[in-house]
Amino acid sequence: MITREYEETKHILLNILKETQDKHGYLSEKVMKEISVKYKVPLARLYGIATFYMMLKTKQQGKYVIEICSSPSCVLNDSNTIENTLRKELGIDTGETTKNKKFTLIKTSCIGCCNEAPAMLVNGKPYTKLTSEKIKNTIKKLKNAN
Amino acid sequence: MQINKKTNLKAWKRAQEIGPNKILKILDKKGLVGRGGAAFPTARKWGFAKDAKADRKFVICNADEGEPGTFKDKSIFQNNGETIVEGILIAAYTVGAKRCFVYLRGEYEYLRKKFEKQIKDVLKKAKTDITIEVVRGAGAYVCGEETAIIQSIMGYRGQSQYKPPYPPVEGLWGKPTVVNNVETLTCAAQALIFDDWDPNLRLFSVSGNVTKPGVYELPLGVSMKKLVEIVQPKNKLKAMSFGCFGGIMPIDYDMIINNETICKEDCSHGAYTIILIDEKQNIVDICLSIARFYTYESCGKCTPCREGTIRLLNLLKKVKKGQATKKDLKIMDEFARHIQETSLCGLGQTAGNHIITALEHFPKDFEVFRHEN
Repeated sequence: MITREYEETKHILLNILKETQDKHGYLSEKVMKEISVKYKVPLARLYGIATFYMMLKTKQQGKYVIEICSSPSCVLNDSNTIENTLRKELGIDTGETTKNKKFTLIKTSCIGCCNEAPAMLVNGKPYTKLTSEKIKNTIKKLKNAN
Repeated sequence: MQINKKTNLKAWKRAQEIGPNKILKILDKKGLVGRGGAAFPTARKWGFAKDAKADRKFVICNADEGEPGTFKDKSIFQNNGETIVEGILIAAYTVGAKRCFVYLRGEYEYLRKKFEKQIKDVLKKAKTDITIEVVRGAGAYVCGEETAIIQSIMGYRGQSQYKPPYPPVEGLWGKPTVVNNVETLTCAAQALIFDDWDPNLRLFSVSGNVTKPGVYELPLGVSMKKLVEIVQPKNKLKAMSFGCFGGIMPIDYDMIINNETICKEDCSHGAYTIILIDEKQNIVDICLSIARFYTYESCGKCTPCREGTIRLLNLLKKVKKGQATKKDLKIMDEFARHIQETSLCGLGQTAGNHIITALEHFPKDFEVFRHEN
């Protein structure tokens, strides 16, 4: 039997990383080093966690992170067209960030909005029953926002 | 809907009046089983943790609802958050846990603030020293698996572990831990006080090419015909899928939906997710979506799953480009079966189902693209 070395901690590392990301936009080497020292967790382990979870980012993201759902229910409701519209409106490919660092476009697994497909998350907020028209309006609004 | 009935702390009060043993007896008699998919009797799971000797015990509410096409737990959060909290408290009281966690999937972050307030309110009214913390998931499907969720909460990569030991004996920080789905915990509170609580009612998440997608509460044993009538397809239906793990089957109106028919022999999934696909769709497109899902979500621990899912996706892309040969289709089928046989957890064991079932039932959809050879 493998000896378990786990000791109960007060702090939940995942929450700490997410809160840090909320504050800084992404987990830079600098903030990771600070967390490592403060919570006495090896930096390598922190990177292990940060690169495991899709929503933790070690590189700078756009101000608006758009996650378009690519699961079957959304695909059946033509999310591919929506994704193409997004690419065209933003002028980037999926997985990229615009040069002005305003938008990042990502494909995501199911976001649980299957009854309102196709759907996407913009900085975690759901946008549902999408059409190309709706996308164009939303992007226009976000482009004009600060 | 039964699931939306509020317990208003009456279940918590009753639990304290009757004590752990009687709670287990009632839940056992009422036939409550896990609603995450495995259908394990809840009273037995709680019983293992209750009987385990340890200085600390934990309860985890699994709100990492990630199976594509599933959105039933979200609806419970939106309609009956207080009862979820009460269910967690009852589980904790029964097994003797003081610290509880709700592992909320990152995609549901927008539900967090309201739920944290509900936790605060219920705990205050319940006058208890049990604590409940929300752990913010960060987009890893595999963390819906109980050993992976435990790794994740402890601050590690969310990778599945070998069982045994099972969590009710040795879980979070090596201590007895109950991991239950959101719906299970809600039902536990309701089953305790409502005499007419019906164990056969299930939440069905229905989506796809239908005009009325949504969460429906229906009894086990309902026919596919009835369900299709309710959700009203846009066109003639061609196929059905019970989530990515279940593969893609031809639509069967005569099918009676219950645990056995959805899961067949030894499948441990099945949260009553139903995706309906109409005849305008090509199954290869759905396979591509599912294959992409598995490449994203493979945790990387088992080589056949990590590498095999990427190969399957690449082969499907080849099919779509019209470059696949007969041999490629055969290799795809072999790969899919190989991944199933050699992976540790449910993710890998089901990662090839969509390919195997699609090739078997919808060969013509592949033929459309196939290269001459």
